[in-house]
Amino acid sequence: MVNEEELILAAAFREGLDLPSMCLQGWCLTCAGRVVGPGCWDQSAARRYYELDREAGFILLCTARPCSDLTIQTHQRRQMRDYRLGNGLPAPRG
Amino acid sequence: MAEKKHGSDAIVKRGDLSKRVGVEQIRKRGVNVEHLIELLIDAAGAEFTTYYYYTLLRMNLAGKEDYKEICEDARLEDRAHFELITPRIYELGGQLPADIREFADRAGCPDAFLPGYSGVKEKGVKTVQKIQEGGYKAAEILEVLLEAERCAVRTWNEVCDITFGKDPRTYDMASRILQEEIEHEAWFIELLSMERDGVSRPSGHFRRGDPGDAPYSKNRGFYNP
Repeated sequence: MVNEEELILAAAFREGLDLPSMCLQGWCLTCAGRVVGPGCWDQSAARRYYELDREAGFILLCTARPCSDLTIQTHQRRQMRDYRLGNGLPAPRG
Repeated sequence: MAEKKHGSDAIVKRGDLSKRVGVEQIRKRGVNVEHLIELLIDAAGAEFTTYYYYTLLRMNLAGKEDYKEICEDARLEDRAHFELITPRIYELGGQLPADIREFADRAGCPDAFLPGYSGVKEKGVKTVQKIQEGGYKAAEILEVLLEAERCAVRTWNEVCDITFGKDPRTYDMASRILQEEIEHEAWFIELLSMERDGVSRPSGHFRRGDPGDAPYSKNRGFYNP
């Protein structure tokens, strides 16, 4: 359960989920997930997040706060990286 | 002279310059070399951009001469980290991007911007100008420095994890860098803790011998006069 004030990744850690993460500042894509179906999330804490990311449903869990129920597919770093590169957007590759 | 068959030809043939035994050996031990190269380029990008941004942050610690000196050590040591890891990228068969903009964009850690600067071009410049008129607060700069170091600690831990027991050369370099990044984090915790909260949290470290001495990554003696 994640409340609206809480970062999704922080809630996952609290519940013992060992999800990937690195910069924890919404930059490196390591924690990337993809929202399945409709949903609302606040990504304003991310250091680098594009409207195109949101349109494709990509979410950076380390800096995202939910504003509705969300179903999220985790471990989407590679997919988000490929998507960014395909759209000419910056994407750390490691 | 009759050509002798040799067991070493199995993976890298005699005279083959397209492969390196030093790379194929670590691949055989389970390292995903291509992934490692990409991770190292991202990490090198972060060290390089950090060196740049620390220059700006140091300039704006005016009047806090002790903080400036600590920032200077971290700044120069981050440059040393870039210098240490870059040759390894090429040894492994990788290379740095031809365009520095691409290099900065793929850095594994965020830009360590001046406090309040968002990176949005025109609006960002105006924001910085406005903040500069009033002067930066040292605590805000120290917080930027601290979070940059924390990202570096996570990055080099990751490199150590994926090379430990498989790629001793990269591991040794990453471990040296990690040790200095851990020290940097401790410095900025100490300074920010007292500056912002009035609480003593010593790093427990003595001074560097010379600015940016980098005892681990430059293999220098520790300051002990």
